[in-house]
Amino acid sequence: MADDFQFDPELNYDEATLEQQRQIEKDIADAQPLISDRIGLDQVIKEYTAGEDQVFVRKIEEMKSTYKCVRKTRADGNCFFRAYGYACFENFLTDKADYKRFHEVCDKTKDDLITLGFPQFTIEDFHTNFMEAVTKLETIDQEELISMFNDQGLSDYLVVYLRLIVSGLLQKEHEFYANFIEGYATVKDFCGHEVEPMGKESDHIHITALTQALGVPVQVLYMDHSEGSKCNLHVFPEDSKPSITLLYRPGHYDVLYS
Amino acid sequence: MASMEKRLQKELTALMKDPPTGVKVDAESIYKNLSEWIVDLDGAPGTLYAGESLQLLFKFGSRYPFDSPQVMFVGPNIPVHPHVYSNGHICLSILTEDWSPALSVQAVCLSIVSMLSSCTEKKRPPDNAFYIKTCSKNPKKTRWWYHDDNV
Repeated sequence: MADDFQFDPELNYDEATLEQQRQIEKDIADAQPLISDRIGLDQVIKEYTAGEDQVFVRKIEEMKSTYKCVRKTRADGNCFFRAYGYACFENFLTDKADYKRFHEVCDKTKDDLITLGFPQFTIEDFHTNFMEAVTKLETIDQEELISMFNDQGLSDYLVVYLRLIVSGLLQKEHEFYANFIEGYATVKDFCGHEVEPMGKESDHIHITALTQALGVPVQVLYMDHSEGSKCNLHVFPEDSKPSITLLYRPGHYDVLYS
Repeated sequence: MASMEKRLQKELTALMKDPPTGVKVDAESIYKNLSEWIVDLDGAPGTLYAGESLQLLFKFGSRYPFDSPQVMFVGPNIPVHPHVYSNGHICLSILTEDWSPALSVQAVCLSIVSMLSSCTEKKRPPDNAFYIKTCSKNPKKTRWWYHDDNV
């Protein structure tokens, strides 16, 4: 196939590539809501029995002894932020003990970001929308929370602000975090390329920073093709007892429930 | 759509009230229900572009600020710069893959002024002739390779 390729100077290859990329994004958007309802693990297993992925089938079977279902997120590169944000907000619908602290922490992030030199104008815009959502947690129910997260405009506002919180924390503690970034000269550079833009995928460093900034720990169950039938569980930060669990499959995060 | 207009209206009000040095926008240069703006830029004093009047065209899609705006130079004076093609397209990473919704029209203008200000030799990009013959009208439809942050 590659041998047959002949460069045609009249064709715009960039445009064709980007068109194809947009079509793929649209197909994903049509097939998968930003945040789904709860889906039983038996349903999740079916994704792998057809493809005969015995390792994943075995691992999900094992997982069933502890967990019951997942809530899927759209694979748009923002899945960690959307999954964590949703699970976090969902807990505060019922757990009022920690809510006041959470509200205060979120409220304070704006001044921290502005002090760090983020543009006041846009930070205020995102902060206002984020705080409106946090304040609503006092009165709304699960169903309203799902529709909040599936309203793309609002949902993306929340993702952006969570990304800004991560960027803010990494920059505030840049001396420490500089040890964990590769390929960028500074933490600020890293944030500009890998944290702040929408659709950039998250790694351990994003998770560590967000849980630290909000004081809401998370555990992530990593499912990969390694040997054995158990998935590895990582807790952020290490000595905490999180009430939120995420399921990681290569390149993607969903919320996991027991 | 509503969030895009609300955001742009706020940006416009702020820019008209308190514009950064060398950046000017007025109500007459806003078109199509806020979705197209012409912004006047002055080349910064003490740089190769001092005294030059430049114009940027901004086009905003309904997904702004989550998607980046389309930004290019227009008008009689397209600055001669290693990242600016003679058709006005600009090779600047924050306009595509490094765009962040925390950026704004003002932040883009300042980045472009700064890009111009750090230039040490006025010349077109090496692939200018080929690029303007084959590129799309929309600079966002180009897959840019950002190879040089120092110019």
